[in-house]
Amino acid sequence: MSLVHINILMAFTMSLTGLLMYRSHLMSALLCLEGMVLSLFILATLTILNSHFTLANMMPIILLVFAACEAAIGLALLIMISNTYGTDYVQNLNLLQC
Amino acid sequence: MNPFISIMLLSTLILSTMIVTISSHWLFAWIGLEMNMMAIIPIMMKKPTPRATEASTKYFLTQATASALLMLAIIINLMYSSQWTIMKLFNPTASILMTMALAIKLGLAPFHFWVPEVTQGIPLTTGLILLTWQKLAPISILYQISPSINLHLMVTMSFLSILIGGWGGLNQTQLRKIMAYSSIAHMGWMTTILLYNPSLTMLNLLIYIIMTFTMFTLLAQNSTTTTLLLSQTWNTMPIMTTFTMLTLLSMGGLPPLTGFMPKWMIIQELTKNESLLLPTLMAITALLNLYFYMRLAYSTALTLFPSTNNMKMKWQFYPTKQMTLLPTAIVLSTMLLPLTPMFFILL
Repeated sequence: MSLVHINILMAFTMSLTGLLMYRSHLMSALLCLEGMVLSLFILATLTILNSHFTLANMMPIILLVFAACEAAIGLALLIMISNTYGTDYVQNLNLLQC
Repeated sequence: MNPFISIMLLSTLILSTMIVTISSHWLFAWIGLEMNMMAIIPIMMKKPTPRATEASTKYFLTQATASALLMLAIIINLMYSSQWTIMKLFNPTASILMTMALAIKLGLAPFHFWVPEVTQGIPLTTGLILLTWQKLAPISILYQISPSINLHLMVTMSFLSILIGGWGGLNQTQLRKIMAYSSIAHMGWMTTILLYNPSLTMLNLLIYIIMTFTMFTLLAQNSTTTTLLLSQTWNTMPIMTTFTMLTLLSMGGLPPLTGFMPKWMIIQELTKNESLLLPTLMAITALLNLYFYMRLAYSTALTLFPSTNNMKMKWQFYPTKQMTLLPTAIVLSTMLLPLTPMFFILL
């Protein structure tokens, strides 16, 4: 596994850790989600260009389209939460625990 | 909800699962799973209460993480095999990552924390879709990659699911959370046998879907969401108490009822593969599940909770809610055991 691949996988792991361990804002979780998808985009592009797999050149772009849709849904949910509570603190999401 | 939007969302939901099950390209399977998530979130937010918003957010975060992990596993598989066909994976790292991503999507322990909370926050019929239809897509992918799944990881996750599904449901009175923990335990049973005989995973999934559909439809008749409300069904629809009790006992896996069939087949396959401790522990832990089903059946069909005399003399109206497929589902979830040879050969 070359250094470039390790670099991109480290970026993915950093974003994943940020998604799993955010402290108070829901927005940072959404940002880390976008970071993960970005690192996947770069990894896919590198792999496909490196192996001259020309037929798969479209794949990262399609990945980006669906990731953008997902981000839109995430933002819409964030806005719904902001409507109810005024902030996006995750401590507010405690209605369903009992 | 506007009928056009409702049709569009339902058709996207059905189409997305069909895309996942019939695709042979990893990108299409991933796209199908994304569409699945995108279609069900507006369905969960039909009534935009704070609980539904919170449930949708938790569902979205877990499923989006799982999608990104799945895509990473797909790209690592691409790096090591340079092909996109959905078959066994060619790298142990990719296999472990994909198994964990699909476990997050299914709600297997140790990734089960979202299932009770999300099921609690959404209406009963949406909960039905969440616990039955949403399981089809990830299990179809697990079925296709089953030759390359790490045995230790899978057996650990499934046994942990059975334990947590059993113990977690013991302290609940909210019926949707009980159904969520029941779902976790059944997913555990399904994934235990995945590496030995994947057809039995499909059989267990089919029987589980029939039983859960029956249970949710029975609950939706009276819009009961707590045990207390369930204990009042003797008053409004007395025959439902019998059906509820039979369906609950079937879900617990008692012999002359259908729910015994998958458990029996799974234990038989596991013992054929010379693992004796695991099926013993699984069978014993299934008793925990049976205990809280029995508790529900007891409060529904076998005892009357204390109530005022006014409540004992209700007008018995004709039911106005549509009982979609309820008689068929009840018969299927209680009387299918004699047809075991047919299922065993078919699947």
